[in-house]
Amino acid sequence: MMARLIRLIGAVFVAWLAVAAPQAMAAIDPLVAEGAYLAKAGDCTACHTAPGGKAFAGGLAIASPVGTIYSSNITPSKTAGIGLYTRDQFAAALRQGVRRDGANLYPAMPYTAYAMFSDHDIDALYAYFLNGVPPVDAAPPPTRLPFPMNIRLSMTAWNLIFFRHRSFQADPAKSAAWNRGRYLVEGATHCSTCHTPRGFLMEERPGLAFAGGQVGAWYAPNITSDKTRGIGSWSKPVLIGYLQGGVAPDARAAGTMGEAVEHSFQYLTPADLDAIATYIETVPAAGKAEASDRFSQGQPGSKLALIRGLSPAETDDATRGAVLFQGNCGACHAPLGQGGRDGYFPALFHNSTTGATNSNLVATILYGVNRTAAKGQAFMPGFGGSPRDSSQLSNHDIALIATYVRTQYGAGGPTVTEKDVATVRQGGPSSPLVLIARIALCLGAVAAALLIFLLLRRVRRANDRHPSAGSRSEPAL
Amino acid sequence: MSQAESADIVVVGTGVVGCLIAEQLLDAGHSVLMLEAGPRVERWQIVEKYRNLAPITTTNLDAAYPPTRWAPFLDSTSPLTAVDYLQLEGPNARAYRQDYVRYAGGSTWHWAGICWRLTPEDMRLKSLYGVGRDWAFDYATLEPYYTRVEQALGVCGPSDPELQWPPIRSKPYPMGRLPFGPGEQKFTDAAARLGLKNLPAAQARNSGVAYDGRPPCCGNNSCIPVCPIGAKYDAASSLPRIEAKGGKILVNAVVYRVEAGAANQVQAVHYFDPDKQSHRVTGKLFVIACNGIETPKLLLMSADTRNPRGVANSSDQVGRNMMDQPKLVAELTLAEPAWTGVGPVQGSSIMQTSQGDFRREHAGALFRFNNMARSRLGAIQALNKGLVGKALDAEIRRLSACTAELTIEHELLPDPNNRLTLSDKKDALGIPKPNIYYDVGAYVRKSAESYSTPLVKQLAREMGATDVKVTTEFTNSDHIMGGMIMGANPADSVVDVDCRAHDHPNLFLPGGGAMTTAGCGNSTLTMAALALKAADAMVAQLTHA
Repeated sequence: MMARLIRLIGAVFVAWLAVAAPQAMAAIDPLVAEGAYLAKAGDCTACHTAPGGKAFAGGLAIASPVGTIYSSNITPSKTAGIGLYTRDQFAAALRQGVRRDGANLYPAMPYTAYAMFSDHDIDALYAYFLNGVPPVDAAPPPTRLPFPMNIRLSMTAWNLIFFRHRSFQADPAKSAAWNRGRYLVEGATHCSTCHTPRGFLMEERPGLAFAGGQVGAWYAPNITSDKTRGIGSWSKPVLIGYLQGGVAPDARAAGTMGEAVEHSFQYLTPADLDAIATYIETVPAAGKAEASDRFSQGQPGSKLALIRGLSPAETDDATRGAVLFQGNCGACHAPLGQGGRDGYFPALFHNSTTGATNSNLVATILYGVNRTAAKGQAFMPGFGGSPRDSSQLSNHDIALIATYVRTQYGAGGPTVTEKDVATVRQGGPSSPLVLIARIALCLGAVAAALLIFLLLRRVRRANDRHPSAGSRSEPAL
Repeated sequence: MSQAESADIVVVGTGVVGCLIAEQLLDAGHSVLMLEAGPRVERWQIVEKYRNLAPITTTNLDAAYPPTRWAPFLDSTSPLTAVDYLQLEGPNARAYRQDYVRYAGGSTWHWAGICWRLTPEDMRLKSLYGVGRDWAFDYATLEPYYTRVEQALGVCGPSDPELQWPPIRSKPYPMGRLPFGPGEQKFTDAAARLGLKNLPAAQARNSGVAYDGRPPCCGNNSCIPVCPIGAKYDAASSLPRIEAKGGKILVNAVVYRVEAGAANQVQAVHYFDPDKQSHRVTGKLFVIACNGIETPKLLLMSADTRNPRGVANSSDQVGRNMMDQPKLVAELTLAEPAWTGVGPVQGSSIMQTSQGDFRREHAGALFRFNNMARSRLGAIQALNKGLVGKALDAEIRRLSACTAELTIEHELLPDPNNRLTLSDKKDALGIPKPNIYYDVGAYVRKSAESYSTPLVKQLAREMGATDVKVTTEFTNSDHIMGGMIMGANPADSVVDVDCRAHDHPNLFLPGGGAMTTAGCGNSTLTMAALALKAADAMVAQLTHA
């Protein structure tokens, strides 16, 4: 029944894609069109197309906590891409993380989620990538992770410990929409890749599904059904609107979620978005307890009475945050932080970015927002995250602004420090694995092997205990 | 004296011209050192400075840019400071009080962003109308550079050729036009009833979309003195990018001498730091991009035995032909609100009135609705009436809504008598202040009397004005042109078609000063187009060297 539903949706989208995706027009094969839609749902382009580069030609530098991973060319080029892959080799790459040459992929490729893809959908994706995508013969730079992560064979051990190959089994007790939603969320749209926190060895931590995780500079927050920790307070239409346009009354999509809206969710059918929302609404509460939710914090206000008329020499760190805010942010977000009337410039109170204490506020100031969906572009410039930004604020000044904004309009909480900003600027916290690897490089290969062996054993033991959420102490990332 | 720095290309000045050249040379793989006389500040500092001004001084639109002791410029915040730096004389001395800033990023910090092109006719005044000069090349030669500048700055403009000026273009604008505010629409409708077309201006301002990492315009209406969000192009926004590409920017470095060596190659420039310590900078090519006042001043100051009249001045044309668009202003009182101030401070002009066979007899002119919000002017006027309480509020509202300003900008001919020389007066570093003789001439005066003033009154009446006052004293438009005029003949011009000094093969003097004629429109786009043309020539020159 599930397969029939999927095929039905696919067929409906042949017509839609004929308008939306010109390259699919040449291929009349409905399977190719279905594959194109699934590639959108899987957001393959997010990683496999570099900015300004050719579609699916790879080369995007993905900053992972253990080093930079370059995405591969997945065009049908026979020299640089996947043109020589058989259908089964293609399936093994997607569902098992194994390349044509037998080497393991790093789990930056979400094969742990794509394992969910049905045989039919693998056929469709294969048809699309081999016949619907123009080949590009340029090879992206090779990925060179630091030792010992450069030994791809180590991923075999990782897979043994963490990878549970799960094919999709419909739950007959649940609705067709819920089942379709689960198929997409756990599979193609691979939400847990970002929204589930990662453990010491970059594995998705069991018992904490969708409880929120760090993704480089950005934080993918808790999207469980909990009303305080998660998005349980959102109605289904609010969630669907957010996925389609990146805008909710009290949240905006930026960073990697902005990309997911721009490249993937906005193209999904209303039925699929409804299915995703249906499933997400049932995700059990998980994660660290929170005293208050991130959507209803703060109120309008300003320190203008304190700062107007002050010369720069008369400001101290207490007032400088307010001065920097008015000079850099006030023209768009308004002097009281109330934003614009049409919502293009969001209010800074009742705003999930300021209402939480994760890295997103600093990341937004550093890197800005650039998201294009059906209703047009939403844009905020970065303030120094790129050396080309026209405003180059120091870590100190960004820390002052972030502290002012969070105190005046948001969650309050601890002062944002220069070090916090420096961490976001370098692309997020790095894993202790790298440090260990560097120490290991100094100690030599024997010592490294021993260390890894010990580490693996420790994690395996921890895993065998099947810990539940919150009951386990892990080294903080 | 210390040998401080060296680079392939030494660029003096960090305004739009210097920055465009620096970036293009960096992209071609050459080392670039930029020298800026003034300080470097962040946008937010200017924004906050402006907001902290006493309300009365906010009508002085350069008050947010106080001059430094070592890099002075005209400071209009008081009548006393306004005459301190520029030494002006002649019948229209008042009309050459040019506003510019000596800050990193230059005067685009506080430009309106308007990007008119010259027309083919503007470049052939001598052969078509028997006045002024002809350019050394035609519009078709300049057109590709105009197009490149529009891409580089991010210029929005109409896609309909009927609304383009001139409609001779090889590529569309990178962004669509901005809509008119209600006041500009009223003006457009009034003009239409008189058979005149008020055109949406091409402007270096992001319309509806981000461009080059800068956000779309959201109508703060403070383009002058500063765009608080960087939606309007200003050269300051390109400084971090220049540094990211490997360019070096030295600020508070006041260049006071261009040193020519054997074979009249320029071999160094010398600058003072704020403590008047001297430094020497060497390079292969030198660019003086300080626009039409500071560049000729520097050339004249650099006189030596081989160049007794100043560097690049064998023609005696350095500092001559000083141009601008002499401005008159009509103040309107209206029965109905015009709602001035929605959108950017300028957004349109009537351009057809700048063209015609009448140019044999008198200057053409452009007419525009000044869209700068009138609330602060209204408040000052209402306070001066001694009103208080509700009556004061009501009068501020009426004056803000029901008054308007129309501006006339006239075309000025290049006249060698309009001349910049070195004053006997010195600035804090002992550098001579510029002295400028300025007469708008009979060509402009005749236009004002018989052509532009009658027409602006007609436009005002058509807009429903109950009262119109047109100024009679010309004022400055801040479009400084002519001081190192371009021409094919080294005997009567300073630079060649690539803004290269006729006298010095490795010295480039691009910008407004090189413009042969002025036209009626704002000069920046042409200055920037000449900069890109010069940059092409520099890249070729270094490649062949």
